[in-house]
Amino acid sequence: MILVTGIGGGLAQRVVARLLGSGHDVVGVDYRADVELSSDIARIPVYRASYNKSAFEDVFRRHDFDAVLHLGRVGNLAESTGKRFELNVLGSQKVMHLCVQHNVRSLIVLSTFHIYGADPRNPTPIAEGEPLRAGFEFPQIADAIQLDNMAGAWIYQHPPVRTVVLRPTHVVGPNIQNTMCTLLRQPRVPYIAGFNPMMQFLHEDDLAGAIIAAVSGTSRGVFNVAGNDAVPWRTALAICGVKGFPLPSALSRRLLPTVFRQPPYLVNFLKHPCIIDDSAFRHTFGFRAALQLDETLQTTVAEARSSG
Amino acid sequence: MVNLTDFGTVDKAVDQAIDALPNHTNRYGYDAWGFSPEVAKRGYTFGKRVFLPYFRPTVTGIENLSAGRVMIVANHSGQVPIDGAIVALTCLLHGKPPRLVRAMVERWFPNVPFISDFLFRCGAVLGDPVNCRNLLLDDQSILVFPEGVRGSGKTWAKRYQLAEFGRGFMRLALQTDTPIVPCAIIGGEESIVSLHNAKTLAKWVGIPYLPITPLTPLLGPFGYLPLPVKFRIHFGKPLTFSGRYDDEDSVVNAKVDTVRSQISSLIEHGLEERKSVFY
Repeated sequence: MILVTGIGGGLAQRVVARLLGSGHDVVGVDYRADVELSSDIARIPVYRASYNKSAFEDVFRRHDFDAVLHLGRVGNLAESTGKRFELNVLGSQKVMHLCVQHNVRSLIVLSTFHIYGADPRNPTPIAEGEPLRAGFEFPQIADAIQLDNMAGAWIYQHPPVRTVVLRPTHVVGPNIQNTMCTLLRQPRVPYIAGFNPMMQFLHEDDLAGAIIAAVSGTSRGVFNVAGNDAVPWRTALAICGVKGFPLPSALSRRLLPTVFRQPPYLVNFLKHPCIIDDSAFRHTFGFRAALQLDETLQTTVAEARSSG
Repeated sequence: MVNLTDFGTVDKAVDQAIDALPNHTNRYGYDAWGFSPEVAKRGYTFGKRVFLPYFRPTVTGIENLSAGRVMIVANHSGQVPIDGAIVALTCLLHGKPPRLVRAMVERWFPNVPFISDFLFRCGAVLGDPVNCRNLLLDDQSILVFPEGVRGSGKTWAKRYQLAEFGRGFMRLALQTDTPIVPCAIIGGEESIVSLHNAKTLAKWVGIPYLPITPLTPLLGPFGYLPLPVKFRIHFGKPLTFSGRYDDEDSVVNAKVDTVRSQISSLIEHGLEERKSVFY
């Protein structure tokens, strides 16, 4: 039996659909109230609990989990810093303790490549051992950095639990509602004048595949996960078939967070490259992203394009 | 003459040279650092049509630049990196086989809009040891100025005197087993003459140095236009080094000095040969 946190998210549901397909029993949990499950996975039990509250412990008492997929990191900056600290840092710490306590064999933690930060000093590509520079300019991302670091430390602190931390690049896909997808689905998409950084994208199905590969594997560690190929931002827009418009660099810091609801730390991703090296994950888990970049991007915006 | 009328077209020699490069790009026409052969063709065409007629570079020793991974180590001069552009043009157009030189740019440079983006498409890369290592392991050629801004910001009184060399390039060469081709660039020092480095003002503006040229008081910003000096590029015999890349500084310094003195003697020789700065 497998526990999946953040079950309300599009990615978690894609992963669950695959797990059910291969005969696993799955339990979902989310801190959010209005969780809607897609029809193919509607039969799984779902609990509502904050990961840092004691109600969450009951889920572990009621079921016997072989593996926990902690996909429920809160990236939404609409939640206050305090709330994100509680859910992401304290909550994840609780997930780990419960895994140790209840003899869970594997724990997959979904982190993010945002913690590297799109810094002008970034080398290409960025391997897992490189410094995490996002915190310099955007201390608001501290919870995500701490979650990643903490999970990385568990790998050797709690050897009985095989822990794998995944740092995927921009995750996109028809069922994903993150800020990158929202941006791509706009009728006109901004770019920063004079900057056209290289970018990678990972389709939800490929990330689901990566998570399945991680949970079925035998290795542990911290791994970058990327899709196939990298292109400049404006080429990505052309592949999506959307029109871009330039924003002056000086105004982008103001306009992107307010008008386009981009978290401030993502503004730099439209300015400087943050290309990650995913070779370790590919080699260790024999994983390869199945979708090409065109398909990855086009399926993300298809619905918005046809309806708009 | 500089011909700007056919700026939109791609020069035939440039086109052939870039097509002859080993392909490191993905199906969308980019490599991981953002190099795009299509944009580079236009960039190098511009360089060939503007820089070559203006600076009329001559080249010796280009045969020392073989295929495979290589590190070109050169003296840096001339306030703005024209020297890098000319070496890159030379290696692409005269190299046998044509070589795409990946120039290493300063860490503040990616913040410069438009120009940084364009140069990255043309093959420039942020000057970071990880980038260098990855490019060398990919069997590419990189251009390194171990003097850094100490070299390019030199004042007239210190022309053609090599500033202190960093050790990073030598450690990388040892680590990746890369031959070093020493290179002397003659002409850069006279292209934009710096009488004085206005350090305080530069710090204030946030740039590494700010030269005052003899023409600055008279012409203002136009005083920074490079003079039509003749460039002379001399490549020396490739040097190979062995030993531990993580050895003590003093051991690595000795190897750095070998390269430095090679470049020094190439410069000396080049200056002796030169009859005039302008032709």
